[in-house]
Amino acid sequence: MAKKLKRMSIPIFLILLLGSIAMIFPFVWMILSAFKTVPDVYAYPPKWLPSSWKFNNYVKVFQMIPFAKYYFNSIFTSTVQTAIQLFLSVTAAYALVVLDFPGKKFLLSLIRSTMFVPIVVTLIPLYLLVSKAKMIDTYAGIILPQVFAAFTIFLLVSFFSTIPQILYDSAKLDGCGYYRILSEVVIPNSKSPISTAMLFSFLGHWKSYTWPLIVTNKATYRTLPIGMKYLVQESSSEYQIMMAASVMAILPVLIVYLFFEKQLVKSITLTGLKA
Amino acid sequence: MKKATVFVLMLALSMSLVFAQGSKEKAVRPEVVKLQVWYAISGASGEQFLALAKAFDAARSDIELELTYSGSYADTATKVSAAMLSGDAPDTAIMAAGQLYTGGRGDYSMEALVKDPSFNVNDIFKGMLEYGMFEGRIAAVPYGISSQVLYYNKNITDKAGLDLEKNPPATWAEFYQIAKTAMEKGNVNNSADFYGFDTSDGVWLFKSMLGQNGNEVVRKVNGRVQPVYQETSGVEVGKFWKSLIDANLMPAGQHNNAEKKFLAGNLAFIAASSNRVARWQGNTNFKLGAIMMPGFKNRSIALGGNVGVILTEDTFKRDASWELLKYLLEEKNHTSFALSTGYLPVRKSAQNGEVVKEALAANPLYKIAFDQLDNAWAYYHFSEMGTMDSFFWYALDEIEKNVSTVEVALQKAADSLVKEIE
Amino acid sequence: MREKSSAMRIHRVTILGKRYESAQVRAAAVLLLPTLIAIILLFLIPVVQVVAYSFTNYNLTTGMKAYNGLANYEYLFTDDRFFKAIRNTFTFATLKLVIDTSLALAIALMLDSAIPLKKYLRSAYFAPVVVPVVASSLIWIWFFDPGIGPFNQILSALGLPTSEWLYHEDTALLSILMFSIWKGLGYNVVLFLAGLQNIPTSYIEAAQVDGAKAYQVLFKIKLPLLRPIISFVLMIGIINTFKVFAEVNVMTPKGGPLYSTALMVNYIYDTAFTSGRMGRACSASIILFLIIFALTIIQTKLDARKTISLE
Repeated sequence: MAKKLKRMSIPIFLILLLGSIAMIFPFVWMILSAFKTVPDVYAYPPKWLPSSWKFNNYVKVFQMIPFAKYYFNSIFTSTVQTAIQLFLSVTAAYALVVLDFPGKKFLLSLIRSTMFVPIVVTLIPLYLLVSKAKMIDTYAGIILPQVFAAFTIFLLVSFFSTIPQILYDSAKLDGCGYYRILSEVVIPNSKSPISTAMLFSFLGHWKSYTWPLIVTNKATYRTLPIGMKYLVQESSSEYQIMMAASVMAILPVLIVYLFFEKQLVKSITLTGLKA
Repeated sequence: MKKATVFVLMLALSMSLVFAQGSKEKAVRPEVVKLQVWYAISGASGEQFLALAKAFDAARSDIELELTYSGSYADTATKVSAAMLSGDAPDTAIMAAGQLYTGGRGDYSMEALVKDPSFNVNDIFKGMLEYGMFEGRIAAVPYGISSQVLYYNKNITDKAGLDLEKNPPATWAEFYQIAKTAMEKGNVNNSADFYGFDTSDGVWLFKSMLGQNGNEVVRKVNGRVQPVYQETSGVEVGKFWKSLIDANLMPAGQHNNAEKKFLAGNLAFIAASSNRVARWQGNTNFKLGAIMMPGFKNRSIALGGNVGVILTEDTFKRDASWELLKYLLEEKNHTSFALSTGYLPVRKSAQNGEVVKEALAANPLYKIAFDQLDNAWAYYHFSEMGTMDSFFWYALDEIEKNVSTVEVALQKAADSLVKEIE
Repeated sequence: MREKSSAMRIHRVTILGKRYESAQVRAAAVLLLPTLIAIILLFLIPVVQVVAYSFTNYNLTTGMKAYNGLANYEYLFTDDRFFKAIRNTFTFATLKLVIDTSLALAIALMLDSAIPLKKYLRSAYFAPVVVPVVASSLIWIWFFDPGIGPFNQILSALGLPTSEWLYHEDTALLSILMFSIWKGLGYNVVLFLAGLQNIPTSYIEAAQVDGAKAYQVLFKIKLPLLRPIISFVLMIGIINTFKVFAEVNVMTPKGGPLYSTALMVNYIYDTAFTSGRMGRACSASIILFLIIFALTIIQTKLDARKTISLE
């Protein structure tokens, strides 16, 4: 039986393999090109492998833009944003699942409706608000307006709903108030989904482009995606420098992803199933 | 309830910690004036500017500069406008000529400042000074000014049997023939993507050509700015432009890619900014050449580039900013800046200095840009000039892609501009 | 949640005609306060402001802010670039939605069969999703370069005609679409895969015992059971498609050849930040918002009808 199945699936396997090569080909190209020289880049017919391995390109990236600072800014803002967002989402999700109160349904649809608002719509007033509060070019200005994400809330809602009622009941019998139920029942039992939500949130913030673009003027506060955009402007004819920068921007994310892949996939799964 | 209170307090505490980052210092002491300076000059040129500015900073213990590269011309303009709304604007900026001139907000204090005898305003080229004007009055000082230069790939022209140093074209019609020959015979790479001519800034070149054909782009009529590029003299230019596309000498709609093509050796001629001299010198895998821009009825060149604006209204900061600008525009400072970047010197006295003469003799490519200086002009600057550039872009797109005829495209751009001005 | 516990006395309140435990209501109020503040500050107030500004001529560069009635809306309705942006958005959205969903479904179905290297394949398909858009856009800009990019090179090596990709109005939007699909496919694949793996093998085995062929299993069992996931994917898809911004902004800065790649989001951004006309940009935002809203309502209604018919 098993042998028969394997034989039938080989064409499918080959198709998928081909497709997967198409998926990761850009990354391979990027890594190879990051080592090329200028003539390699403009060689015609185009060269695939670098003629000599120039590690200097990476150094050049740091020379052209304050890459290290941008890196730090991205890490710092993403971490703080994730922390705050997690805090908001855990408390909100818990309340929405476990507690009963007037306006619950309304609140749920209100939260859901925020998902429909593209950032561009709120960009302008948010920008004006932040500038009036003198928070342009500050970490607060970058971080605070991005702390809310309905997606994270719904993710946690679907997880929290799976916690067996028995645990709540026994906690209540023990005399726990609703805050203690949160800290002693819900959170300990949701370590995995919470860390997954944290991961998702971090990845999303790491990638965020539009808001940091508007709210930072000075180089000292720019995050990595914006820094890369400036690099494009500075080095528009030097592809190999841009590739080196891309490698440095992407590689850590990829590594984190591979490390946490199972959890990430599990969490997307559960959101989808419960939606 | 106790838990709740602790909870809320912790929340407030954590939020305030983040907020604490956001408070801004407002230190302004006359003993040391701190200036926020933004500049829109990138790459090697930006570094040259930075070096000069830092030298000024070091020399003046009573002035402290905070320098920020604020991105492309477009990004800088956006950021400065936005910053002005929130009172976060820089004190001084080196940015593109545009609606953000102080003139646009009714501030013509620069007119009085330039009368400062140590500035020697009469030493500045007339065309450059025009470039710093808004609605006819001085609102900024010219800084990083450039013109377009016609670069070419010597390997290609050699292969095509052309000697551009001996026989440079004086009119666009002559150039047309030369480009055609280059394209037919000069394909050094045997590339399928090979062209005779392109420009990395179509709008700029188009404006130059308008001037060369006697068209001033816009004119002030009865207190209102009116487009004139849709008149016959403009249409003639448009038709020539289209003929380049029709003969397949210039690829349609690929100006963003022009420089890459040129560097790859697949473009014979390119009209690009004079400041590319700094960037491309020694970085091309072919011999680089340059010639003066041909013309129609005359060979004038439209200037482009950035100017120095003072945005602050604080007296101390304004004076300090003026000191900075004067320093940057001192003849030897600015000339060394220009020579190393490919920007043009703004002072007539620069031309006569020995240093400059030697440098020019040693590097013929710079010479081309300088030779064009006598013919430089700037069209009338007004509020919607930035938007006008967008309309030009769209019009050129339509002309190149054959979506509208030249008359229709230019008329459309003119009508849109009139609508915007209202 | 009525409990007859002797350990605690449960205080109840009646609010708006329903009975609630006051401890729960109080806890909810405290726990939800930060979220509520966030929603008000970050969504409600801005949306109200956007509506208000849309009736003014708010201009970033001159700072003027005066009521001008429906002038902005009038301008928009006579601006053919605005209509182009709407058209581009719909074309892009429809194609992306259809291709993303069906391709992802196909890939998920294939991944669900007995093949080796499943883990590697799944990672490969998902990898583009985690990568920042700007970085991957740069790579693809190079790919699309008509002269030195690998795509045209591969095409000509295979003897096929080359394309101008991002530089021609007929191909620019499709090029960006290709990139967008590459970027987002893995997400849907994983969702569908999870759904498929959730189908008990007993169903499938039972059907095979009954003599069902592969395509019958597919259409009669797998697809119907995937329905909730498919509608989730579609809903998220609609929302996300209208949010696409970075790739267009990075790859075709001025709206592309003949304004063929500018999406509504780009139009709004350019009007607001490049031209400085905030008032007009707000009006355009309102229109965009209404469109998204209408589409999601349509999708929910269609979805509800389908679920009812299933039962």
